[in-house]
Amino acid sequence: MTARSVTVARTTDIQPGELAAFELEGVRIAVANANGRFFAIDDACTHEQCSLADEGTLEGTVVTCGCHGAQFDVTTGAVLAPPAFEPVKAYPVRIERGNVVVEI
Amino acid sequence: MRPTFAIIGASLAGATAAATLRQDGFDGDVVLIGAEPQLPYERPPLSKEYLRGEVPFEKALVRPADYYGGNRIATLLGVRATRVNTSERMVEFDTRPPLHYDKLLIATGARNRRPPIPGLDLDGVFDLRTVGDADALRAEAVPGRKAALIGMGFIGCELAASLRQKGVEVVAIDPLPAPLFRILGEQVGHVLAALHREHGVETVFGDVVARVEGEGRIGRVVTKEGRRFDCDFAVVGVGVQPAVDLVAGSGIETGDGILVDEHCRTTVEGVYAAGDAANHYHPALQRRMRVEHWQNAMLQGAAAARSMLGTGSPYEPVHWFWSDQYDVNLQYAGFHREVDRIVVRGSLEERNVLVFYLNQGRIDAILALNRGKDLRRAMPLIKARALVDPRQLEDETVDVRRLAPGEAHG
Repeated sequence: MTARSVTVARTTDIQPGELAAFELEGVRIAVANANGRFFAIDDACTHEQCSLADEGTLEGTVVTCGCHGAQFDVTTGAVLAPPAFEPVKAYPVRIERGNVVVEI
Repeated sequence: MRPTFAIIGASLAGATAAATLRQDGFDGDVVLIGAEPQLPYERPPLSKEYLRGEVPFEKALVRPADYYGGNRIATLLGVRATRVNTSERMVEFDTRPPLHYDKLLIATGARNRRPPIPGLDLDGVFDLRTVGDADALRAEAVPGRKAALIGMGFIGCELAASLRQKGVEVVAIDPLPAPLFRILGEQVGHVLAALHREHGVETVFGDVVARVEGEGRIGRVVTKEGRRFDCDFAVVGVGVQPAVDLVAGSGIETGDGILVDEHCRTTVEGVYAAGDAANHYHPALQRRMRVEHWQNAMLQGAAAARSMLGTGSPYEPVHWFWSDQYDVNLQYAGFHREVDRIVVRGSLEERNVLVFYLNQGRIDAILALNRGKDLRRAMPLIKARALVDPRQLEDETVDVRRLAPGEAHG
């Protein structure tokens, strides 16, 4: 499968320290604004599939799932704290003319 | 010779301690001793996803099976340590020779309380602590059968939900006026009682099971007030006691668990304790406490390991736990005993709420129903021990993050 670039939002649509969810090709992706830098990961926590965008909180580049406290690095998708132990998938993001573009 | 750090309890606390020793560069021998035959696993799924058959056991392992060998962590499983000999620095067993240690961590957890109710020895009466217990319950949890739950604490509540989700009829009996009444209070207790009734649980509060009857196998439970409930099986969930028999006579002081300071040190040099078995001094709260939750087992296990390495810092977390029942995600942060004011933000009836437990103008604890995100944002308020304005706490238009003094991050 070749990667596709999808514009999901204006950079101003997602405030610093916030996450927003977008459905792309049938997959829910959470886009994080980590103090002006944007990152995209799968929205579903790998522990119990809670939405990281809806339930999670972002501090720096760490998202904490609101359901059971699992933590992920939004820059890589790596698990930083249990109860999750599988990473979430991370997607490349670029900013083009004020748009947040996710490669999936 | 390389030093040996032994850990009694192949539990979340014990396994996290072992892993932390290695992550932090400890080069000596690490021996992890467990009474159960399985590699260390997490217990929260046992009353929920695992019981309902939604996740395999492997998902509950604290670390993957190949982790221990790959990190030079020796595991002695299916072996019960029976005594700690602190003068010789030996862990003793009934079934194998003693093991020398240079430093020792005790993370033996807790055991289920078994009340003196006649008939609890009948077949079909269970409790829940181990994966073996969960497997036995899974075999009983067949749609259309009926379970009696003796006690509606966290285990009783989670089992009620899981069993109803599996199509099992449930009668739940507890002496208090509502589930979790003592810890969460009247308002939240009644919300939970309504939740369980709504899902078809027959609830009996303010009464206790006086005896269990049956011919070899359970047939019914009979309450003190004479009510009789036919059932196919029963589960006892009436709390736990710390599993600390093995330190008797060792000089290690106990008192509702093994007494440890803020560095997880017991009263005997070189011996540490963590998890459900440990009663720790919390410097920020200036009191002792014994905590029976997942997060404490993990964090205190890690804290104890660092203390063993001499690199620890005082252990004084904001304690936190969750419980999932049906579609309700309950979370609790902090620690409360005396409460002079309860502030509600949101709707208890809609089960979308934060409940603040205040004492002398400060937030000692917060409970959330389906509001984990807000809870996490409010947790700095507990840590800060700041005076808060109750009107702002209950005002949904005020972002909880703005209430924390000097709060710069969310």
